[in-house]
Amino acid sequence: MNQELSNRIRQKLVATGEEERLKELLKTRLLSSGWRDELSAVAREYLKAKGVQHVDVEELQNVLLVEARKSIPDTVKKELLVEIRDFVMQHEGIL
Amino acid sequence: MADRPGGLCSHIAEQRDLVMESYKIVISFLISPESRENLEKRVQRFKCYTCESVGARCRLHACLQCCYVGCRLYNHSQEHHEESNHHVAISLSHGVLYCYLCAEYVHDYEFDIIAIKARQRLADFLDLNEFVRSVPLWNPKYGELELLSLQPKRMRVDSKTPIGLRGLYNLGNTCFMNCIIQCLTHTPFLREYFLSQQHKCIRSSPADCLVCEMCSIFQEFYSGKIFPHVPTRLLYLVWTHAQHLAGYEQQDAHEFFMATLNLVHKHASGTDIPYSGGCNCIIDVIFTGSLQSDVVCQSCHGVSTTIEPFWDISLDLGQQTAGDSRKPRSLDRKKLTDCLENFTRAEHLGSAAKIKCSKCNSYQESTKQLTFKKLPLVVSFHLKRFEHSKLLHKKVSTPIAFPQQLDLSPYMAKPEEQEEADPTSTSHDPSFSRPHTYSLFGVVIHQGTLQTGHYTAYIRQSPNGWFKCDDCEIKTATIEEVLNCEAYLLFYHKKYIEYAVE
Ligand SMILES: [Zn+2]
Ligand SMILES: [Zn+2]
Ligand SMILES: [Zn+2]
Ligand SMILES: [Zn+2]
Ligand SMILES: [Zn+2]
Ligand SMILES: [Zn+2]
Repeated sequence: MNQELSNRIRQKLVATGEEERLKELLKTRLLSSGWRDELSAVAREYLKAKGVQHVDVEELQNVLLVEARKSIPDTVKKELLVEIRDFVMQHEGIL
Repeated sequence: MADRPGGLCSHIAEQRDLVMESYKIVISFLISPESRENLEKRVQRFKCYTCESVGARCRLHACLQCCYVGCRLYNHSQEHHEESNHHVAISLSHGVLYCYLCAEYVHDYEFDIIAIKARQRLADFLDLNEFVRSVPLWNPKYGELELLSLQPKRMRVDSKTPIGLRGLYNLGNTCFMNCIIQCLTHTPFLREYFLSQQHKCIRSSPADCLVCEMCSIFQEFYSGKIFPHVPTRLLYLVWTHAQHLAGYEQQDAHEFFMATLNLVHKHASGTDIPYSGGCNCIIDVIFTGSLQSDVVCQSCHGVSTTIEPFWDISLDLGQQTAGDSRKPRSLDRKKLTDCLENFTRAEHLGSAAKIKCSKCNSYQESTKQLTFKKLPLVVSFHLKRFEHSKLLHKKVSTPIAFPQQLDLSPYMAKPEEQEEADPTSTSHDPSFSRPHTYSLFGVVIHQGTLQTGHYTAYIRQSPNGWFKCDDCEIKTATIEEVLNCEAYLLFYHKKYIEYAVE
């Protein structure tokens, strides 16, 4: 997708508040799918192994990012995709 | 690490009031805007002022000592700190304070409260309470955090932990109650609600509150105890508040289920009216859906539509197909979807039941059709196996096949605008239509005859972990076993709230 188009969609998502709705939706889904619990378990193990004094947020974030993205349930990804598609179709002006 | 957990570092504490003023501004303009105008303004400001990158991955931080916004992805926020000597920033993704001198995020109760309240106002104005309130997160308060630190023992719960399973004593024909308790304690949303203790009692005494009792049953189920629980208090409460269920005879599990929902709703909301409009007690949040009833006048084809709330769906099983015993059983086995089709079919009301049409202004023959207007988080189906007429009480043993995943979209009411829809529009591509998919998590079975029957339940403990609950006894079960049983009540939840990844 070209940069300009993706910027336009992002702007529309932000300005209409749809971005905030999707954020809350995503949070809810990730929570109820157990994703959040699993990820915090990974984080806790990492902190335990390295010692909490020796890890900063930056490092933890880098370590978790890969696992976090990989473990998002497909159903959640698909639902979000459908939601965003619906939004783009409703606001055909952005295309 | 700041030495005081949950407190400000000395660099921020020094200029706390100033920081709080800018914090409030950033929260209300950039993080949780509270008006359309601020939302629109945010578009321009939500990017790195140096490299213009946008999006969550560039991790934007706003300086609280000037109005610079910089990314952490390319280190522009760090550069700003080095150039300007400003050291207090806020993460735009999470609204958390950051101190460059400590190189740490800093949490403070009063700051957190400002952010939480702003989020709530945003949710009100964008109408997001569906998410924000229906699945409230447990955010431990500071007192609770202290309590937690005094209780260092932790239990890790994953999909293999058997916690949550517990047998129930039969108190004399009370299997009708036990099977319902098993299904309720395995209803995902109820579990989240009760285990996070969100019930604020409004009854004169918690001992007389069914919600409080449900709460303690959940505590018992998740306590890790392995001997069966004795549900006397629940039985006593139901007896005192729903007198038609009192006594030591076998009762109907469905009736008990409905009475329990009704009593929990009553005790949680303080109202006597079932489904009182806009009730947001936990029962209504989870179980209330609505049916659209369309009555079509056969003379003028005018439609009059009414919407009725429901907590469960009772389905007719139709005619028993006896005498076809030569055919393999699986072929003539009726399906749940057949019953649903029947339930949502336009039904001719007959010439004896004429209804006054407001358009024709006279009594006309009409058809009536029910469809789902709004689906609840948990749909329960009651298969009408017990026929009661004046002369006859009998049990219908027709086998009904039911799926593990159920798509309810064919039974939904058509959206009103669909008739005028542009036929060339692509937005009706079926693969994009919102899924109304439900997953099975509980089944109640009635074995035996009407008079001497016994209730048991199958419940889903983890995505593929099924158990058979027969009063005190809990055994593992296979999904095949579940799908082949003679179901009486079926419990489905909305699929995307499934606990654990498939
Ligand atoms: Zn940058
Ligand atoms: Zn600055
Ligand atoms: Zn500091
Ligand atoms: Zn109570
Ligand atoms: Zn209610
Ligand atoms: Zn008419």
